[in-house]
Amino acid sequence: MSPLWLLIIILVLAIAGFVLGRARALASVDDHRELHSRPTYYGINVAMLAFVPAALVLGAWMLVQPLVINVMVSGMIPEDSYADAGALSLIMSDVRRVADGLDLAVSAGAMTEAEAGSISTEETDIRARLGEVGVALGSNVEPAVLAAAQRYRHLAKTGRAIMSGVVVLIAGAGFFIAYRQTNGQFRARNRVEAGILWLLIAAATVAVLTTLGIFLSLLFNTIEFFRLYPALDFFTRLEWAPSFSGRGGASALGILPLLWGTFYISLIALLVAVPIGLFSAVYLSEYASATVRAVAKPLLEVLAGIPTIVYGLFALLTVGPLLVSVFGEGGLLGVGWMQGGTAVMTAGLVMGIMLIPFVSSLSDDIINAVPQAMRDGSYGLGATQSETVRKVILPAALPGIVGAILLAASRAIGETMIVVLGAGAAARMSLNPFEAMTTVTAKIVSQLTGDADFASPEALVAFALGMTLFVITLGLNILALYIVRKYREQYE
Amino acid sequence: MKDNLEGRKLVDQMDVKFKARDVQVFYGESQAIKDVNVDILDKTVTAFIGPSGCGKTTFLRCLNRMNDTIPICRVEGDIRLDDEDIYAPEVDPVQLRARVGMVFQKPNPFPKSIYDNIAYGPRIHGLARNKSDLDDIVEDSLRRGALWDEVKDRLGEPGTGLSGGQQQRLCIARAVATAPEVLLMDEPCSALDPIATAQVEELIDELKQNFSVVIVTHSMQQAARVSQKTAFFHLGNLVEYGDTDHIFTNPVDPRTESYITGRIG
Amino acid sequence: MTDVADRPNGRRSLHDTDRHTRRRNAAERRFRLYGIAAIATGLIFLVVLLVSIVWNGIPAFTQTFVTLQVELPEEKLDKSGTRDIAVMKKVSTFGYAPLVDAAIAAALAEHGIDNPFDKAKKLRAIVSASAPAQIRNAVLANPELVGTTQEFRLLATSRVDGYLKGRVTRESIARDKNIDAEHLDIVDALRDAGVVQKTFNWSFIFGSDASESRPESAGIGVSMVGSFFMMLVVLALALPVGVAASIYLEEFSTQNRFTDLVEVNISNLAAVPSIVFGILGLAVFIQFAHLPQSAPIVGGLVLTLMTLPTIIISTRASLKSVPPSIREAALGIGASKMQTVMHHVLPLAMPGILTGTIIGLAQALGETAPLLLIGMVGFIASNPPETFVDGFMAPNSAMPAQIYEWAKRADPAYYERAWGGIIILLLFLLVMNIVAIVLRRRFERRW
Repeated sequence: MSPLWLLIIILVLAIAGFVLGRARALASVDDHRELHSRPTYYGINVAMLAFVPAALVLGAWMLVQPLVINVMVSGMIPEDSYADAGALSLIMSDVRRVADGLDLAVSAGAMTEAEAGSISTEETDIRARLGEVGVALGSNVEPAVLAAAQRYRHLAKTGRAIMSGVVVLIAGAGFFIAYRQTNGQFRARNRVEAGILWLLIAAATVAVLTTLGIFLSLLFNTIEFFRLYPALDFFTRLEWAPSFSGRGGASALGILPLLWGTFYISLIALLVAVPIGLFSAVYLSEYASATVRAVAKPLLEVLAGIPTIVYGLFALLTVGPLLVSVFGEGGLLGVGWMQGGTAVMTAGLVMGIMLIPFVSSLSDDIINAVPQAMRDGSYGLGATQSETVRKVILPAALPGIVGAILLAASRAIGETMIVVLGAGAAARMSLNPFEAMTTVTAKIVSQLTGDADFASPEALVAFALGMTLFVITLGLNILALYIVRKYREQYE
Repeated sequence: MKDNLEGRKLVDQMDVKFKARDVQVFYGESQAIKDVNVDILDKTVTAFIGPSGCGKTTFLRCLNRMNDTIPICRVEGDIRLDDEDIYAPEVDPVQLRARVGMVFQKPNPFPKSIYDNIAYGPRIHGLARNKSDLDDIVEDSLRRGALWDEVKDRLGEPGTGLSGGQQQRLCIARAVATAPEVLLMDEPCSALDPIATAQVEELIDELKQNFSVVIVTHSMQQAARVSQKTAFFHLGNLVEYGDTDHIFTNPVDPRTESYITGRIG
Repeated sequence: MTDVADRPNGRRSLHDTDRHTRRRNAAERRFRLYGIAAIATGLIFLVVLLVSIVWNGIPAFTQTFVTLQVELPEEKLDKSGTRDIAVMKKVSTFGYAPLVDAAIAAALAEHGIDNPFDKAKKLRAIVSASAPAQIRNAVLANPELVGTTQEFRLLATSRVDGYLKGRVTRESIARDKNIDAEHLDIVDALRDAGVVQKTFNWSFIFGSDASESRPESAGIGVSMVGSFFMMLVVLALALPVGVAASIYLEEFSTQNRFTDLVEVNISNLAAVPSIVFGILGLAVFIQFAHLPQSAPIVGGLVLTLMTLPTIIISTRASLKSVPPSIREAALGIGASKMQTVMHHVLPLAMPGILTGTIIGLAQALGETAPLLLIGMVGFIASNPPETFVDGFMAPNSAMPAQIYEWAKRADPAYYERAWGGIIILLLFLLVMNIVAIVLRRRFERRW
């Protein structure tokens, strides 16, 4: 039975449970006011017990079965036919394709079940036969692979059958138990509410699972990468030059040039965003009239709502050419510093624009959190407004503002689209801000969207880069949130 | 109006520091102060008393133009410091506030060191020629604030770490450091416990040797203890003004009498 | 010790400002100016950004068409004369191309325009490479057309289109081997004759992407459908999960290790770079769970995880704003805690929750980086999905990914499309934000 059918069966069982449970509760008393809970709760209780445990088992089984079968089948592949774990996983994906292809051929009517079960590599060109039903294989099928595929099919089929039995049994048992329990004194509402509460908790757990998922998917692939490429080289080499042939092994994958590009661009972005954002926040919260504030603040925040792809295009097609016409060869200044439109300056400038509202609204909040009594105290001593801002408000708000800047920095470091389009592709360690450089995020994109094989160090390096990025931004965020929280406590 | 004229007669011909005539204050459309006339004397403690919302704090804040920081507030009439109109267009409120210091209801030390709190005013007004000059000002102000002995060993610690009473004396010392001529105090003891209150009151008594002190207070006992002159405000009017002893023992206006005896409040 | 008498500003009159104060006031004015300058700079950036979007993107909404009378001779298209579709299909687009050449030549002759070319084939450079296919499709759809002369509105090539829009000039085509100055002379003449016209470009809005060499027929419609299905996934998953998680955290949880863990996770997830979510999608949904690459379902799942913190944060804020008195009132008449939340608190918080959800969706709609990693780029979205399920499972692109794809292509005609795509994307975001604002204004309750 396919999982979809199983799901439909337990769903039908649940609906039946709802109707019957409700009816049984009503039948158990003379007057429905004698029931402990409203009749609907009895129905939901039966439905819930029939559906939820069975559905959970179904989901878990479908998740675990392929893993178990994978382990059982991979033992069948002769050890001398693959060099490393990466190659084995490639062979295993071939096995799965053959197995799925045979299943598809049977279901499409191109093969009988018996034919599919007895097919052999000597007699039939399996690649051609599967090609007919639309399953394209990269190479001819080896006997070992075919044997593994047959075993795979067999195990999968058996697994499915057991699963169907178990799931239906659990659903039936849940239904039966809940139905038997149903009578006028049974506290159905409490049971249902407990069930809902667990549902709510499960939803809250999604956030934790997401973090776990991110961490594990980065971790496993990073470990895999370090098995193929020395970690010391990755962290200390000053060169980034992946070989394009895929598995050449001659790649130089040092992260330092990428980190340099990342930090240089972020620095320029902050040099643009922090003064503009901070002065805007000060003006809006200390000087501006209510009307100016009501107009200027939302307008500035529009900058934050614009998707990063728009900024990327703006950098590539507007700001880049503009900068070249000023700083490039034969440009307005005649300095010839800039060779092409994509450069650290281009990406940094545009990223700075994107971060202005981020800095200004965070700083605005923080400046507004400084108590009015501070301002009064300063004015009462005869300080001017700017003296009050510079010598009382900003120092008082400093920790919060530092936190805001750290958050902005973490944004800048993790930003992808602007640097992919605006910063260039060459990994370089140079001080000239008008040169093209590249960043960690840009290289994650290029290494994972290219043609490189997923098991090669050239692709796996993206996960190590992602891990580095994740650790840096997470560190910055935790630090920033800690500082901001400490600061808030000061005035509470 | 008649009451105010009566009150003015009671003022003896000492040095008049502030002279207020026909002062009106509006918040948007509503009028908070009506026709206030008062003369505030030098080297004297003047107390403003009256029920909540009677306008005494508003009037106090007119005297150093702190009301300028509230956009909807409008002041009319004539207020003169040493016979100079403080609301004249050419007057810089910053310069005025250097001469008319203010202490607020809640202690509001800046989140800086004790030293920097005191030094703030002298620094922005450029009162010290050099570092040792500034040190002197800080020590002198802290002594006048009766706080020197308690904090002299920890001038570098944050002012926010002091106790409530110490914080308020720090704020008074901070106001004194800019060498004002008048010190306005807006219920300076309302956030303090009785012991701290007593210390601050003692301090006010000493301050009157050098400054004119105006204090807004809710406590009639406090007004009686610290002030020489008392003004009673009611619903935005200055009802009665005169010697403290006189007001508390022999009030002219029936409203003053009701307030003092606790019938309105 | 300072004494009252020797203060620098001691007995000086209030009415004349001393030098020190003048200096301070100048500093004050300077400081205020910095603030104004900062805001002005920010606003100027905004204006430059918007102007360059509109300026560069508006041309994408018009398109040059060539209206031609195309003769459809039987001897070339249906030699057998049976009008049998299966037979007619054997004539490929190459068979139709000469018809286009002839039609252009005829149009030139009709309007008395010189044909400078000796080879008829050279005229073809004026119309899109998709023109023969367009004629072929029309003929196959209605075989009766064979043997007649029909009017067709054919797309002009991107060069001609660009020439009419001012992007392509005679100087810029000097080294272009696709088109010559003579072509432009012809185009000028044909435009005067009304054969070449620029009209509104519906196919840009509703059409599908085209190959690298035919920018004139590329549209954003199919990727819009891709985005739509992704948003369905986000809405269907992020809203219930986000609301459920918020209800638990705000109404039921007690301060314990688990709650702390969830709180920390939510605030950190909100700040994880979006590209990292792309890595998660690639590793978990594609490599581990074997979901199809480039499918909106995967994009939707990744964006759901990204949007979840936004929705949770705004939902918790609106739950928090429902005053405790409401909860006490319900509990006081014997409602259970769950009933109190479901019957009273949640409905009251709904407008705030919806506002937060729409804003979260708007963020998700514009997000690009994670989509790059799950293969929604580099894929030519040429066909709209055929069924509802295909909408989720079949490979597609999404609006921001499509824009990125166009921005990467070499032909500058695609830049115009990319800017045009941005206008459409921003219009969607604008509408969503306006709806959110209206919702908030309309239903927001002040307690």
